[in-house]
Amino acid sequence: MGYVAVKGGTEAIEASINRLQYERLQGGKIIEVENILATMKALVDQVMSESSLYAPYLAALAIKQAGGSMEEAVFLMRAHRSTLPRLYYSETVETEAMFTKRRISASFKDIPGGQLLGATTDYTHRLLDFNLLDEDSDENEKWLLDYKDQLSKIEQGRQPEFFPKVVDYLREEGLFKTYEKDEKVPFDITKQSIQFPAPRSAKLQTLTRGQTGAVTALGYASLRGYGQVHPTVGEVRVGNVPIYVGHPYEDMDIEENHYYIGEMEVTEVESFVPVKVKNEENEDEMEFEIGYGVCYGQNETKAIAMSILDQCLEHPGSPFPTHDEEFVLLHIDSVEATGFISHLKLPHYVTFQSKLDSVRQVRNGGASQ
Amino acid sequence: MNRRRRTKILIQGSPSLAKEMAAEVIQKYQVSEILAPQYGLTMVKMRETAKNSLFYIGEVLITEAKVEIKGEIGIGLVVGMKDDLAQHLAVIDAAYQVNLPISLKWDEKLMKLEKKLLVDQAKEQAEIFKTKVQFHTMDV
Repeated sequence: MGYVAVKGGTEAIEASINRLQYERLQGGKIIEVENILATMKALVDQVMSESSLYAPYLAALAIKQAGGSMEEAVFLMRAHRSTLPRLYYSETVETEAMFTKRRISASFKDIPGGQLLGATTDYTHRLLDFNLLDEDSDENEKWLLDYKDQLSKIEQGRQPEFFPKVVDYLREEGLFKTYEKDEKVPFDITKQSIQFPAPRSAKLQTLTRGQTGAVTALGYASLRGYGQVHPTVGEVRVGNVPIYVGHPYEDMDIEENHYYIGEMEVTEVESFVPVKVKNEENEDEMEFEIGYGVCYGQNETKAIAMSILDQCLEHPGSPFPTHDEEFVLLHIDSVEATGFISHLKLPHYVTFQSKLDSVRQVRNGGASQ
Repeated sequence: MNRRRRTKILIQGSPSLAKEMAAEVIQKYQVSEILAPQYGLTMVKMRETAKNSLFYIGEVLITEAKVEIKGEIGIGLVVGMKDDLAQHLAVIDAAYQVNLPISLKWDEKLMKLEKKLLVDQAKEQAEIFKTKVQFHTMDV
């Protein structure tokens, strides 16, 4: 039996939307978008990453409108994105040009340029800070002034430094395979439906906009035994990368003519994974491969999990579900997954009625046969 | 000064500089608006470092504006919702396209600002370097 259109409920729906507004307003408090932007960076970053739209101000607005619901905020951003024209494609962003704010390696103690902790909760006590209940803006101002005063005494260079990749040194030693630059135009999952086997570019685009929880859960599943990848993190870096766009009517290959349009913050991860390969004598030999993860904003767990899944999907021969690209790529998208699950609560009267009819018929018919 | 360099300085610097420069042009020359500031998307292409291939990380919200001076089109592009800055950048871009004499005077000012921006970035980086780990090997 197919779907049947029904009418009714218009007044109830209007009343429900009013009720939603009432619940948002009844507390008598207004949270400004600027407050969300200034104090909820991790949340803003996550919404931008999952909605695949880098726009901090709009992400903060979406969080406000959604009342803090991640899935609703991501849905709003994706819907808004679909109303905007795509005006340009950027030139290739290379993360060697990143202004690095954090950079660590779990593989080597001494990395050229050193390990920069930057801003992280990794080394904080996970105890509730009850002082925040009585936070005072004057005291905060004083703390900021003291902090800036301490920093003013620091010696500095005349130009910022850019850090080479940890993996570059290992490649120079011949420990990792070197790949020529592949300039093939990427697949775009927003323009074409993904087909399997999917090209690498489609896999990476899908993984980077995956729901943080889903990407993390599947990466974790692979580590726990439902996959064959257990990496060591070679490098995690967080920082701002510049974005350039070619002139629409001039030769796009002339770099000097490009427009600098601004920058965006990303987290990038290279995970080192030992794999067995056959050498020229057909003997087993150990080699390293790289799992790659990247996402908007600072979201290290997601980027590391993505690097695990990237490596899993590069080895589709394994029998585990985390190595099955259809299983991974079609189930990690926030809007698709939450949309499909939540549609189950919408009216299915006819569908369910037909199921009831079937059960009744089987019971009655079963007795008569 | 080439476009790549000057747009970086103008966007990283204070928006008031672009405003001043655009005002100088508007005072002296006929500037026609081709496209009022509009919001749109730029799809960002990235290179991944495992296999050196390209992929799209996602889109970034931008503001675009276009103006015309003496038959040359200037384009202003900037990340975010920045109508005024996009408009000013478009005027400056057109001024450079036409090679207006005024644009020759700007180079010195821009180079000075570029030096300051680099020093500011170096300072910010030096502050971040406070979080650099100094490892000590323990005698066991």
